[in-house]
Amino acid sequence: MDLTRRKLLKMGMLSVCGTMIPLGALEIFKPEALASSLVHPYSQKKRWAFVVDTTKCVGCGMCVKTCKLENEIPFDAEVQRTWIERYVLTKKGDVLIDSPHGDRYGFTKNDPEGHDLKDEDTLKGFFVPKLCNHCEKPSCVQVCPVGATYKTDDGVVLVDRKWCIGCGYCITNCPYFARFFHPVFNTAEKCTFCYHRISKGLKSACVDACAFGVRKIGMLNDPDSEVFKIITTQRTAVLKPEFGNEPHVFYLGLDHIVR
Amino acid sequence: MNHAWRPLILIVGLAAVLLTVRMFLVPSDFMAKNGDYKYQWHRVGNEKFWRDEFTVKHKGREFCKQCHEDKIELVADSGHARVQCENCHVMFNPEKKGHPVDLKADFGYLLDIGIDRSRELCKRCHSKLPYRPKEFTSLTKGIKPFNMIDPQEHNPGEECVDCHDVHRTGFK
Ligand code: HEC
Ligand code: HEC
Ligand code: HEC
Ligand code: HEC
Repeated sequence: MDLTRRKLLKMGMLSVCGTMIPLGALEIFKPEALASSLVHPYSQKKRWAFVVDTTKCVGCGMCVKTCKLENEIPFDAEVQRTWIERYVLTKKGDVLIDSPHGDRYGFTKNDPEGHDLKDEDTLKGFFVPKLCNHCEKPSCVQVCPVGATYKTDDGVVLVDRKWCIGCGYCITNCPYFARFFHPVFNTAEKCTFCYHRISKGLKSACVDACAFGVRKIGMLNDPDSEVFKIITTQRTAVLKPEFGNEPHVFYLGLDHIVR
Repeated sequence: MNHAWRPLILIVGLAAVLLTVRMFLVPSDFMAKNGDYKYQWHRVGNEKFWRDEFTVKHKGREFCKQCHEDKIELVADSGHARVQCENCHVMFNPEKKGHPVDLKADFGYLLDIGIDRSRELCKRCHSKLPYRPKEFTSLTKGIKPFNMIDPQEHNPGEECVDCHDVHRTGFK
């Protein structure tokens, strides 16, 4: 065998490169490996989850109003635990996105972002209610320096108002912009899925307020809950899955322009 | 005493003071539940605050039913069957508040009940927007068309309740 110096170097480099690629990197060629393993139906673990059916939402904002009053967020403050965004695609090709006052007074005019649109100028539009996603891996909780925010055993992410020092790390770390400072307590504040209601057998305030059946809350692994039925039989999507937070608010009829 | 021992004693003493102070400041129920320091490192007692101490404010139809059974039946039979009384009657604008019976003192009901007769209330659901869903899922009749009105054209200048009986979704 005639091994030249050139050949040796070539083969050496190749084998070094070869050993450097981890086997796991080849997973990107397997779609089933990329598929989210979020939902484990029939597992025994109790876990709250939420479903939002955007195809039914009319943007009346009753959920936002109810949420603010139920959870003692001053009504006139420009912060909210849940809000509704309006997405409108115009014939010119612009995507207009707005949520005036978080929609607590409802959408009553075709005036996205202040443009006065005529009905025939719009191609499509829809409303997207948003709230805390109560992630399985909440990035907001990880960054809390004092242990003031945490995940309960049934998957709800809460804030300890006595312990919070108001540093605001969690607010900047939430990919969904679901956190804010409470105007009265000056601590981090967020949706709790109405933990005080759901643990008493009631539904979240926004779920009760919705006259159109947009919002649903239930145990993810309870075969009798509507949430379970929808997630196991219909095609749902989550917001920003690329962050890897494993959000637990599932959307029906989510459009690709929603961010 | 050796010059090397003195700072050491100081350090050990400081550490002891810190640990004792910490023992008093950190509550005993502050811990990593299930050994999960990443997501469950917290004051366990705070779960009780959110679960039990935070008050339920919207009490739903069952609560109003104690005294307004007639209205409940009326509404249950109408197009507004799925609309909660509290959607229309809990007020955030102070000038419209007012309930003849003091629900706060007698029933622990913390919200302000009142009547909003303005068009703004009805427009939230009924104004015609081109991208509003055209269909509505009723509890009893399944999917049916959702009737919206253009507030600029549908009797402008008059309150909706001058003509419509809201609870029956019929006419006065
Ligand atoms: C303790 C009994 C009681 C309960 C509970 C109660 N009401 Fe009343 N309410 C009354 C009485 C009595 C009146 C005055 C007579 C009437 O108009 O029927 C009244 C009047 C009203 C009025 C008219 C107020 C006005 O200015 O004329 C509204 C609106 C109203 N109630 C809504 C509600 C709603 C919504 C609830 C449920 C959250 C509720 N009430 C629960 C007893 C009650
Ligand atoms: C769609 C909104 C809406 C809903 C839902 C609604 N109301 Fe009303 N209610 C009104 C309006 C508007 C008036 C004022 C009517 C008027 O001035 O003619 C009113 C008036 C009343 C009054 C006093 C006047 C009267 O007609 O006797 C009572 C009491 C009342 N509502 C109770 C209830 C109860 C109880 C429910 C829940 C079953 C309910 N309402 C649901 C909008 C609503
Ligand atoms: C929370 C949303 C909501 C609010 C607020 C609301 N409505 Fe409705 N309304 C509905 C729904 C849902 C229906 C049932 C759909 C249907 O029958 O078209 C309905 C039906 C009606 C109908 C019957 C329409 C028909 O074709 O039979 C009338 C009339 C009506 N509403 C008037 C009013 C008036 C007046 C107000 C203001 C006091 C009001 N609504 C406030 C949701 C609402
Ligand atoms: C002058 C009286 C009057 C006023 C004020 C009025 N309406 Fe009507 N409304 C009517 C009549 C009459 C009809 C039935 C005939 C029709 O479809 O126009 C009707 C029909 C409706 C319908 C059913 C539409 C359909 O296609 O079947 C809705 C919903 C409605 N009104 C809501 C409202 C709302 C919301 C307001 C306030 C912004 C309002 N109305 C104000 C008289 C009135």
